[in-house]
This record gives sequence, C-alpha cells and structure tokens, in this order.
Amino acid sequence: MPSLFFCILLLGLRVTESQASGLATPQQVRLDADKETQKLSVTWEDSHASAFDVEILRTELMEIVLNETVGVTEDQSTGKHQWNWTSPVPLECTSLSVKVRSRDGQDVSEWSSQQILPGLDLPDNTDSQMYPEGKTVPVGSNMTFCCIVEEGQQFGSLWYKDTLVKVNMLSRRTYATTMTNQGPSNPSGTNVVCSNEKKMIIAGAVVFVGYPPLPSDLVCETHDLISVDCQWSKGRDTYLFGMTRQTYYTLNGRNCPKARNSNMRCGLEQWEGNWTLVARNLLGEFRLTDAAELGHRVRPVAPVNLTTPEVYSWNASVGWLWKYNGYERLSLICQVQRTSHLNSSTQTYTGYGLNTVVLKDLQPDEKYSVKVRCGSQKNFWKWGEWSLPLSFQTKMDRPVAPDIWLWMDSDNLGRVLWKPLTKSESHGQISGYEVILWSPEENSQQTLTLHQSVFSLPINVTDRGSKVTVTVTARNPAGVSLPANVVIPRHLPDAEDTTISRVAFNGSGFPLSWVAHANASCGYVVDWYNTSCTQDCNVEWTRVAADNTNTMVQSGNFFAGVRYTFSLYACSSESTVLLERWHGYMQELVPSRTVPRLSPNQEGSDVQLTWDQIPLEHQRGFILGYTVYLTNASHLTLLANITDPQLTNHTVRNLVLGSYKFTVKAYTAAGEDGGATVSISLEPYTYWLIMEILVALGAMTCLLIVITIACYRKRKWVKKAFYPEIPEPKLPGEWGITQGTLDVKPSPHSMVHIVEDSVWDSSKEALVTVPEEDEEGTGDEAADTDEPTSLRYYNQVVEEGSSSQRRPHASDSSASSTGSMDSGHTDVTYTGIQTSACSLAPMAHFQPQPDASQCVGGGSYRPQMQSASCPEEPQTGPEEHLQPPVGSFGGYQPQCSWKQDSPEADGEGGGLDQACLGSPTSVTSSQFLLPYDTSEEGKEHPSSASTWFHNLLTGKP
Amino acid sequence: MSGHVKNMCPQLTISQAARTLLSLLLVAAIDSVSAAVVCRKQPCGSSLQRSLKLTKLIHKESVDLLKTYKVSQGDMSELFCQMSINNVPDPNISGLDPSERMLSIYSHCKAFLPHLKRVTEQQTDLQPPSSSLLSKLSTAHNRTNGLANQINCIYQTLFPNLPIPPEPVDGPTSVPPSQNVFQQKVYGCVVLKRFKEFLSRVTRELRTLKSQVCTRRTTFADTNALF
Repeated sequence: MPSLFFCILLLGLRVTESQASGLATPQQVRLDADKETQKLSVTWEDSHASAFDVEILRTELMEIVLNETVGVTEDQSTGKHQWNWTSPVPLECTSLSVKVRSRDGQDVSEWSSQQILPGLDLPDNTDSQMYPEGKTVPVGSNMTFCCIVEEGQQFGSLWYKDTLVKVNMLSRRTYATTMTNQGPSNPSGTNVVCSNEKKMIIAGAVVFVGYPPLPSDLVCETHDLISVDCQWSKGRDTYLFGMTRQTYYTLNGRNCPKARNSNMRCGLEQWEGNWTLVARNLLGEFRLTDAAELGHRVRPVAPVNLTTPEVYSWNASVGWLWKYNGYERLSLICQVQRTSHLNSSTQTYTGYGLNTVVLKDLQPDEKYSVKVRCGSQKNFWKWGEWSLPLSFQTKMDRPVAPDIWLWMDSDNLGRVLWKPLTKSESHGQISGYEVILWSPEENSQQTLTLHQSVFSLPINVTDRGSKVTVTVTARNPAGVSLPANVVIPRHLPDAEDTTISRVAFNGSGFPLSWVAHANASCGYVVDWYNTSCTQDCNVEWTRVAADNTNTMVQSGNFFAGVRYTFSLYACSSESTVLLERWHGYMQELVPSRTVPRLSPNQEGSDVQLTWDQIPLEHQRGFILGYTVYLTNASHLTLLANITDPQLTNHTVRNLVLGSYKFTVKAYTAAGEDGGATVSISLEPYTYWLIMEILVALGAMTCLLIVITIACYRKRKWVKKAFYPEIPEPKLPGEWGITQGTLDVKPSPHSMVHIVEDSVWDSSKEALVTVPEEDEEGTGDEAADTDEPTSLRYYNQVVEEGSSSQRRPHASDSSASSTGSMDSGHTDVTYTGIQTSACSLAPMAHFQPQPDASQCVGGGSYRPQMQSASCPEEPQTGPEEHLQPPVGSFGGYQPQCSWKQDSPEADGEGGGLDQACLGSPTSVTSSQFLLPYDTSEEGKEHPSSASTWFHNLLTGKP
Repeated sequence: MSGHVKNMCPQLTISQAARTLLSLLLVAAIDSVSAAVVCRKQPCGSSLQRSLKLTKLIHKESVDLLKTYKVSQGDMSELFCQMSINNVPDPNISGLDPSERMLSIYSHCKAFLPHLKRVTEQQTDLQPPSSSLLSKLSTAHNRTNGLANQINCIYQTLFPNLPIPPEPVDGPTSVPPSQNVFQQKVYGCVVLKRFKEFLSRVTRELRTLKSQVCTRRTTFADTNALF
C-alpha cells in the first residue's frame, strides 16, 4: 500500500514538470492546516504574478477538490504569497495534494511541486476515526462528516442521530456524508456514528448545534442607593451546555459568574450610569446597554422585622426596619396588604424613611396577616419586594345586636327567632343569649338565658292577654350586645286573606317588588320557608329599608324542586303587618310521584277517571295540568290535556266493550311525571242484561198463555188432532170386561207353553214363559250385572180376584191382560209388550216367602227382569231357576224385550223405574202403556198427571 | 487531655506547641483505635450482611444509572457500551481464597472510584445542571466509597493478620487521558456497564463469603470455647 501511494506522488510530479511557460513557477509551496477550523493556508515565494491557479486533489483517488484561479498579492514584508481555503471536508479525512502555478492572462507557469497535506487515513494510522469531533455549529449550518475505517475492515454504514445517511467514498478507508440545515441538538450533542459491515460501531463523533446568545431587557437599578444590580432576560435558548459551550456574560467588562440558568443578573459595587452587557458563546456574542441616574432607579429592599407595637379591637400599628441607613432620607411610598378570613385589602402610606403605619377599620377578634413593600416616592421606579408576612389578632369587642323575627307556626304558637351572629358580628366567641319577655301593660318581665347554640324561643300567643315585647341580647367575653326587640301583638292578623302570587327565580335570587306601605316605618321584612314544611320549619328572613320597594331574596338554602313561600311584612314600632305573599321555585322539576288514587268508573260506554292532587312536597313545580293517555302496549295516545290543575277527573266517552289502560300524568313547567296507569275492562251493562232476560221471560210467558188459551179454546180440535177417539171394541160373546181389549199378535220370539200347575191342576193350567236361551244361562245373566240387560216380560196368570185386589192401580192394559187371563186356556201370545221393572215391586210385595226374589215370581205369571232384579239375588243353584218350586211359579212369563239404555238400570228398583221410561205400547192399541212406580209417588203422579192431561184433552174438569 | 497530662505530671514543663502536638497525636490514636474497635465489634454475619445490603442497593441503583446514562447520551447510545475501551477496571473478582477475593473486591471498589469521578466530570460538561444523571453519578461514587470502607473493615475483622496493600492488587487502572466527546460518551457507558457487572459479582461473592467465612469462624470460636 505505501508503494502505491509513492507511485501516485511521482506521477503527480511528472505531470507538473511537463508544463512550462515564461512565468515563474511558484516556489517553496507550503501548506499550513488548521484542522479545527478546516482551513488550509497555502504560501509560496518567488513569483511576481498576482493571479495563480490553485488545484487541490484528494491524493489517493486523484479527485479534484478545487481548481480555480485566485488573485493573491505578495506580502511586501515577507515576499510571500498566501492563500487561505476552508475545506468543506475535515482535513483529517484524507490526504490532499495542492499545487500552484502563476497566471498572467492566458499565460501560465509550470505547476509548482505538489504539496501533500496528509490525512489520518494513512496506512500507519490503523484505528477507526470520525471527523470532525466535538464541533459547535449554528443551527441550519451544513456539515460534512467522514469516517475512516480501521485497516482491514469494511465500511458498513453511517448514522446521523438515528438516520442512516448516504456516503461518498473519499479514499480507500474514508467515507463521508454532508448534513445540511442541521437542527438544534440535545444537551449532550448530536451523535454521528460509523459502523462496519458487522453493524458494530467503530467510530463516532458528536456535534453541538445551537444558537448564539440573544439576551434582552437589560435593566439596572439600585437597592442600597450605592451599588447597581442589573437584570436581563436570557432570551432564546442556545441549546448549548457545558463549560466550553455555555454562554458567558460580562457587565462593563467584568464577569458575571452568577448569571446561570434562569437567574440572569449581575451586580457592580458602584453606580456607573452606563452599562454594557456582553453575552458570548462559541457561536457568537450579543451586546446590550442601559443607562440611568441613580435616583431614577431606586428599588427599595423588602422591610424586615415587622412588628405590631399596639393592637386594639378596631385598629393596630405595624412597624418594620430597613436594611440600609440611606432609606432614612428617602421619601418612600409603602403598601400594606392585610388579609383576614373575610377579605384582603391594600392601603398605601408615605413618608421619609417610613417604618411604621397604623391600620384602621379592623374587625375585632380577627386574625390578620400583613406584609409591606415600598418604593421611592420621588421618581418612582418599581415596588420593592414584599416583606415576610406578620400575623396578629385584634382584641374582642361586644357583639352587635342580633337580628330577631317572630314566626308563627300556627295561629297560637310562634317562635322568636334570631340569626346566629357571624364572625364579623360576634366580635368574639358568643357565650349565650339573653331573652327578656316584657309586657308593659301587665308590667311583667321574664328573663331567659339561653345557650349560644339556641337561636329560637317558642311563644304561646294565646296565653298572653296583652302585647309582649321580646328583647334579645347576645353576650361574649367583651360584653353584651345592644338589645334587639320584636313586639308580639295581642291579636295577629289573619293571613288567609292575603293574596298569593308566583315569583320566578332569575338565576341569582327571587326578585320581589311591592307597593310602598305607609306604616312601614322601620322598613320591610321578607321571610321565606319551605311551603310543604309543617313543623319546625327553617325560616329565613331579610330586612329591607323603608324606602325600598323591591329586593332580591338570596340564600344558599334554596333547592330545586322545593316550593318556597315568601311573605312581605311592613315593620312598625307597634307590630308587623303581612302585606303580600309569593310562591316560587328555584327550579321547577317534574313531579316526583304520580297522581294518587287514580281510579276508573264505567258509566255505560263511558269511563270516568278520577284522581287526587299530588301532595305538595311531590309536586316539585307548579302543576299546570294533567294529560290523559290511552295506553296501547308502550304507545301512549293522548286523549285529553287538562289545563286546569284543580280538575281531577276526566270522562272518556263512547268506548266499545273491551279492556283499556289509561295513563294520567301531571305536568309542570319542567315536564310530565312518570304517569299513573289504570286498567278497566268494559262489560255489558248489567241492568240491561237483567232487563233483557226479564223481557224474554215475559214474552215467553205471554206466548205460553196465548198458546194455552188457544189450546183450551180449541181443545176439541186439538184432541181430535192429537188424541182421536179410539172406538171401543165390540166384543162378541161373553166378555165380562168391557174394556181392555188386547189384540196382540204372537211374538215371533216368544213361545207360550201351557203347562199344568200341580197346585192349580184341578182348575186351570198355568201359562209359563219359556226363555229363548237356556235356563242355565238365565241364572248366569242374573249374576253378571255387566251384561246388557234384556228385560223379559213374564206375564202372570193370576186369579181375577186377587189381581184386582193386590194391584189396585194397575193400568188398563194390565187389567186387560188380567182380563185375558180369565179366559184360562186361551191361546194368547204377547209380543213386544213393554213394561217396567217397577211392576215387579208389587209382585215382590205380595210374595211372602223371603227367598222369593224379584226375579222369581209367585204363583202367577210375571215379567222377567234378569238384569234389573238379580243383583240383589243371593246365589242359588241353577236348578232353582230352571226348576222353580212347584206352586210358586205358575203361569206364563212374558219376556221383556227392550234393551235397557241407562246404566242406572243396574241399580235398585228406583233406577229401574227410570230405566223403564217409555211406555210399552200395545201393537194394536194406540193408547200408551204408561209405567207406574212402585213408590207411592210413582203410583200417584203419573196417574194424576196423565189424568189431568187426559181430562184437559177431554175437557173434563 | 493536655490538662490531664499536666495533672499527672505537674512537675514537667511542656511548651504549648508540644502539648498541641501531643493532643493531636492522642486524638489520632484514639480515632484509629476506635475505628478498629468498630470493625471488630461487629459480628461477622452482621458486617457482611450490612455490606451485602449496601452492595445490593448500589447494584440496583447502577442498573438505573446505566439506563439514565444511555438515555442522556442521545441517539444510538445503546450501542456505545459494546465498544471496547481500555483502562476500565475489569468486573471480575480474582483470588483463590476468601481473603484474596475480599481484597480483590476492595481494590476493585477503589479502582472504580476515579473512573466514576471522571465520568461525573465529563457528564457535568455534557448535561444541564438539573440533570438527574449527575446526581445519580455522584451518589454512586459516594456509595462505592462507603462500600470500599466496609469491605476494608470486614477484611480487617476477618483477616487481622493480613495487611491491605496500598495499591490495588489487580493493578492500577488509571483514568484515561483527554478524550473527545464521543469517546467520553463511550467511556462512561463502558465504565457504568462494568461497574454494574462488578456489583453483581460482589453480591454473589459476599453471599458466598458470608456462608463460608462466618461459618468457619463460628466453628472455630465454638471449638475454642469448649477448651
């Protein structure tokens, strides 16, 4: 590597020698470098020319850095030419070659020998480096940084702050970048670092970019009337810190070592009249001047050692000392600022060497803090500094008279009230109150001593027969206050007649105005309280001068949504007269509850809604009216808006039947309340329903009467139409019975066997019915009641006499049957004869033997009721059914052929009666065969009813 | 004290200068004795425990100090500590037996002090006066000095027959000569990084020493008490 560098130098020398002309070649070219300022000074000799060509190259890469013609005159004293050049690139970055030649117009001399300014990237300097380092430059300047890479390493990157920048290669190991318009750096400077190919920092530099100083507002003054104290503003931040870069100040050439940070001040021991401040840092300096006479720049120091030699209840004196004796002859103006818990005020005092003042208009028993500052009264310049505060407390004094008022809780009971004395009124700690009740007419006096926390005294007006004067005094350690009086009149005026109007809150209070009253000799009193309060109400009042007819009622106890009653009284020496009243809300709100007792009442197709007034404490505003809504799900349909707040009912008319839900809301100026909802279901009108029923019944009754009358009058026609006369049968032969012709056809299902009865063998043969089924099955069916009952009729052959004797109510058909029995051996077959099981009862009745069941008849024929009569039957052998005892079971048994419909037929005999509804009808007879009951009623009613009906139809009475 | 001497030897005539000199010598002697007494009065575990707590505190503060330092140095300062700087004390503690290692700790503490002071001076020129870095550097310097004194005291207590060499046993690490601003930044970062690493090692070392040395001494003391 050194050999290559040497070859390059030889090549440069050869080129220089090749140029030759008549002009003298500059000799003894010399380079002097100031690397800190990057200035290169080139000097040469032996040339009388005034113009020269200068060429500067980067030696290693032979890149021309500069090639220009410059005019340089010869220094007569030294005979040398000198030309200075400032390199934009730090001179350490790489070696530079400089050569010079003389120029005279177009003629040039040969180049001088090339001079080399060696850089720090020479091979023998192997370390990594970066230049320039630690420079301080102004904001906005341009600057070139170069990085010399360590021998053997490869360049990686170059970073300015945290920005990767582009670089130019200046030599084998040197890379450079130029930063333009640099911004201010942080206190420790701006870092520029260079890294190798492994991204490891190998070198770095720091540059400080800032501003030159720019102070302002230099002002010099004196405090002690001798020395000078100058102050100024620091001005723009220089962004430069540290011993070498910070700003230094001098005042009139003397250093100001205490001018640091924000404390920009400097002092001189003597007043000089003119001052020059020089601020200087690495980037430049700035000058400020000021001039003034001493008497015009006096600013006294703060007074010290404040004391209070005398302190009273209402005034005190304050004294202080001055640090400098010169103030004794100085006319001073001083401000004394006193601060108490009530307020803060400042008073001004003047005097030569002023050092004591008297503070007036103080409050007794009050803590004060005072501080003092002064200035020169003549040619006032500035106020001096405030002194340290001094605290003291004034002495106590007797309190002021309390403000008392008479408040009537009711017509007879009242309270004497007085306001607690404030700090400024009590003039010391109140120890108690004294109340004197004095009646001049009765010449009686009562004295009460009350605790300091008591502010009212109950009064019973009715107990007193005369006017009473109440006197209240307050007491503190300093004495007793003046008395405050209020007169309780013998008769209190009635407050009911007083008109009440409304007053609106205007943001700061309730404005009240009234007409002047002649008797208001001692002014007016306005009191107010919560209207909804009933007991021990908090009453406040205020007094208005007699010449005022308006006031603004203000209180910290007003709350939104609360109605207050304001009462105006005219005050006189005799008594107070209520003049006027107002109601008002500080802020109206929506009612806090809904209307109470909302109820609907149906009036036909109308519904009347009624409700009560909202209680006053819940109104929270003046009720302006009510709105009535019809509620459908969540939708409200406005039905009515009642603007009269006294009206508490509303009728919704012409509603159809159905359910309705109504919502009633009271509203104030702030809006509606949540709404009370009530439901009602409209039903038909009850009275109308009853009327309709009665009308229908009446109409039906009339119709029946008409039909009855018609039927009665046309009974013959009816009888003819519905009950035609059945012609009596004309019987041939010797039939003893005139009635009861029975013309029956043999049943296809029944057979009648004529058997011989062993008992009645001599006289007649008995008729015995033979069931269709086996007789064994008959016995089974009697036991099994679940089987469908098949009534079988067993006609019974009885003697004529016994039949008529034992069955006196037998129907005609029975009689006819009985009659038919008389024929004895007549072949008679019953078919489809229906009878009821009740017919068995008489049979059972006259069957004496206990084991003779209803199924088992006597010696005559009887109807066979298997299902109805057998449940109570004891179990007997089938033989008993198949072979009934001889003598007890004679004659035929007609078979009950219809099927029992009702399950109740399985029951007892009564049930059987019902099961046997429907009369068995003779096939050949048109007459009904009505069943008869075994009971007495059953025996009588059907017969009587049928008789009546029959008589009706037949016209018999 | 001079009066006391005079009362004991009333017949002697001592000049005022000689008495003053004698007083100074006596005070110095008492101070040195009292210091030695303080060191010896401390129980073994208690002294080491106190030093261990102080070391932990300094170590904790050194971590914060290094963070503050890096933040105060501008961009890319995170990489400054990775650069190599000569003449900065090595954080490793040398020695084979406890006495040597205690001595190494002491000498390291002493060795770091001038470097911390140099970093403080350099940063004073680079930071605003209100910078917290300056106060932290000052605190670290003072606490390290106190730790060195405590280690010295413990060493005298545990190894009363072994003298403390006047120079650090690991060899002097002189503060570097004049540096440019960038070198100062890198130097400070390396110093504080090694200082933090050293304190970490000291913490471990004191813990080990406490368990080794104090247990052994207690055993010896118990053995002596039995006989």
